[in-house]
Amino acid sequence: MERAAHRPDAWLVPFGTVILIAWVMLAVGGSVFPLPAICSAESEAALPLSVSFDLARISDSFAQLALSWALMVVAMMLPLALLPLRHVRERSFARRRARSMLLFVLGFVAVWMMVGVALQMTAWLLRRGVPPLAGVGLAVALALVWQVSPAKQWCLNRCHRRPPLAAFGLAADLDALRFGVKNGAACAGACWALMLPMLLIGPGQLVAMVVVALFGFAESLENPARLAWRWRGGGKALRILAAWSPMIRPFSMRYLPLLTKSRI
Amino acid sequence: MAFTRQNVWELGGDWADPILWYARGVKAMQARPLNDPTSWRFFGAIHGFDQNLWSSLGLLTEGDQPPSDGDMKTYWMQCQHGSWYFLPWHRGYLLALEAVVRDAITQLGGPGATWALPYWNYLRPNQNQLPPAFASPDWPNGTGDNPLYVVQRYGVDGSGNVVIPTDQIEQNALGDAKFVGPGQGGSQGFGGVRTGFAHSGTSHGGVEMQPHDMVHVLVGGGDDQNPGLMSVPDLAGNDPIFYLHHANIDRLWEVWNKSRPSHTDPTEARWVKGPASTGDQAFAMPMPGGTSWTYTPGDTISLATLGYNYDDVSAPAVQPQIAARRQRLGMAPAEPSGRAAAMAEHVEKLGGSRGALSLTGSGASASVHLDHAVRSRVTSSLQGMAGGPPEPDRIFLNLENVRGANDATVFSVYINVPEGDDPAMHPELKAGSVGLFGLSKASAMDGPHAGNGLNFTIEITHVVDTLHLRGALNVDQLHVRLVPLKPVPDRTPVSIGHISIFRQSG
Repeated sequence: MERAAHRPDAWLVPFGTVILIAWVMLAVGGSVFPLPAICSAESEAALPLSVSFDLARISDSFAQLALSWALMVVAMMLPLALLPLRHVRERSFARRRARSMLLFVLGFVAVWMMVGVALQMTAWLLRRGVPPLAGVGLAVALALVWQVSPAKQWCLNRCHRRPPLAAFGLAADLDALRFGVKNGAACAGACWALMLPMLLIGPGQLVAMVVVALFGFAESLENPARLAWRWRGGGKALRILAAWSPMIRPFSMRYLPLLTKSRI
Repeated sequence: MAFTRQNVWELGGDWADPILWYARGVKAMQARPLNDPTSWRFFGAIHGFDQNLWSSLGLLTEGDQPPSDGDMKTYWMQCQHGSWYFLPWHRGYLLALEAVVRDAITQLGGPGATWALPYWNYLRPNQNQLPPAFASPDWPNGTGDNPLYVVQRYGVDGSGNVVIPTDQIEQNALGDAKFVGPGQGGSQGFGGVRTGFAHSGTSHGGVEMQPHDMVHVLVGGGDDQNPGLMSVPDLAGNDPIFYLHHANIDRLWEVWNKSRPSHTDPTEARWVKGPASTGDQAFAMPMPGGTSWTYTPGDTISLATLGYNYDDVSAPAVQPQIAARRQRLGMAPAEPSGRAAAMAEHVEKLGGSRGALSLTGSGASASVHLDHAVRSRVTSSLQGMAGGPPEPDRIFLNLENVRGANDATVFSVYINVPEGDDPAMHPELKAGSVGLFGLSKASAMDGPHAGNGLNFTIEITHVVDTLHLRGALNVDQLHVRLVPLKPVPDRTPVSIGHISIFRQSG
């Protein structure tokens, strides 16, 4: 994959700032923008499904849920759009760059917001149906199965798609938006199972979110690969750490390539 | 003692000793099993491997014992393309192959102490034909198992009579002032753009695109169903001519280095220390005696240290691009202050096509619409206006998301050829020729390119200068015409997602 020149681009400053603000808001918002009380496990279990939704609707629960989810998406998933955004920027006229990049982000985040509805409902059902620890366990197990599946690789490969983009007018706007939607869909396909446990974990949620965000970013640096059942992700991150750390370099140079490379 | 690589056409005979012993060394390597790291096919797989392709061509059989998992992960599928590592990785690959062949020659009682790989300089007059020892199925004594001969080496016309059309190849990259280009639609530099470990990258550097890619597909030829070995990266390392071709590319790197003091290799740590320094795979080669060589680009920059040289590294009479342009545009020679060299390169889109383009039959054309404001900046720079940039803009045509099934497709690109005219009558409007080496792999959805295809960046500065001098640049669009060397069958069209034009200042 082609990398840009070694000078950091100016656009990375606002991009990084937005992500940083999202993390700060998540961190300072109490226990990570706690789920509204009406949706907590204790109160939901006592109410029929329809009643709890009605009550939620009349409160500001949905808005609060949407806000907290949007912050999670921007903090954890928007960094994964770094390279696609660079593609949009490079392939746009200078005067259109900001507009096209914003349209891409709009499409990317919109997909994640819709996926968020499905994930929140799944999390809600798990909280209603099984004890809290079992719910977390189920979600983690699901994430592990998805992590090793060919389907996950299919999505990861599509995260690397860099489509042609129209240069002028409405066509350029639509292409940028469409690319954002498609990349967001591929990203959501790859990462939805990692995000689900985040909605079920109580204490330590912020730490888990940081770990998952770093894992997802490292995973996005891996090259596309053939579809297969195998462990994936984290290898590149470990190799980068190993390359920087003399203490673990001897071990890593010997074993990590074997652990993380896919062959025939 | 330094080994000297010599011009294969100037060895004193079709089967001069260096070629005869190369053939014997190749034969010895071919007799070794696949799982021997010094076998011929193992070296082919170091460059690239595709199980289906290899099986279909008989390079992989049921009886083959695969190498160990560790050997495959360490050595196989390493070739660096579309990357600033293209030249150093291939230099190490050649050195390893040369060492293994030399060892085989020694074991056969030959001149292993002095033997060096010859190179094929197809750009020299009357040397564009495949060296005869590679074109005959027979050894010089008439027996028919010459290991240098390859059936799947079809050439342009498919007959196996391999002659490189001289109007399809050039070495203009030697005039590029910088090893690393900014990419992003602008120059790819002489040696490529910054990447990590790139086993088949997307955008090829200057010398990689021409003459490297073009010679590959002009020699290999074939089509999607019967590909020439040289046409496909995953097969190419199995053809003995590959190594003579790459010796010439390696020689061109040295020619570029020697031609001007300013032609220096990258000094960034990421290049010098290689991809392993940033967490990617290291470059590693098997060597004789069961040893292994792990190397970095920094290890490959000095031929003297590596112990070899070329019999000719004289630069062709190519004027540096900048000086040639200023003369063409009627500008005074560049100031020696180096103001331009100190400026950052700025790349900006100038125009784009509307919709995709499919190349079939005898050609295709498209219009690239220009942005008025950006075009004005280009025109100002070409006029050398006071207060403007110290050097006129360079202009690049980009063929983006080029996809298809046949790597051997070759076409030329022309700009603004008058309607009804034969493009061949307008060499001044020819942007360049493109060979689609690596196309099929780049087009596979679950391949290393995620189906994005290849991007080709062709410098069209000389054409834009011509149009400017004719007063024909003040237009809303430029017309791009693609002219294939051979008609493109409907079955294997080449699709081009977008055609764009970029300006590069600084």
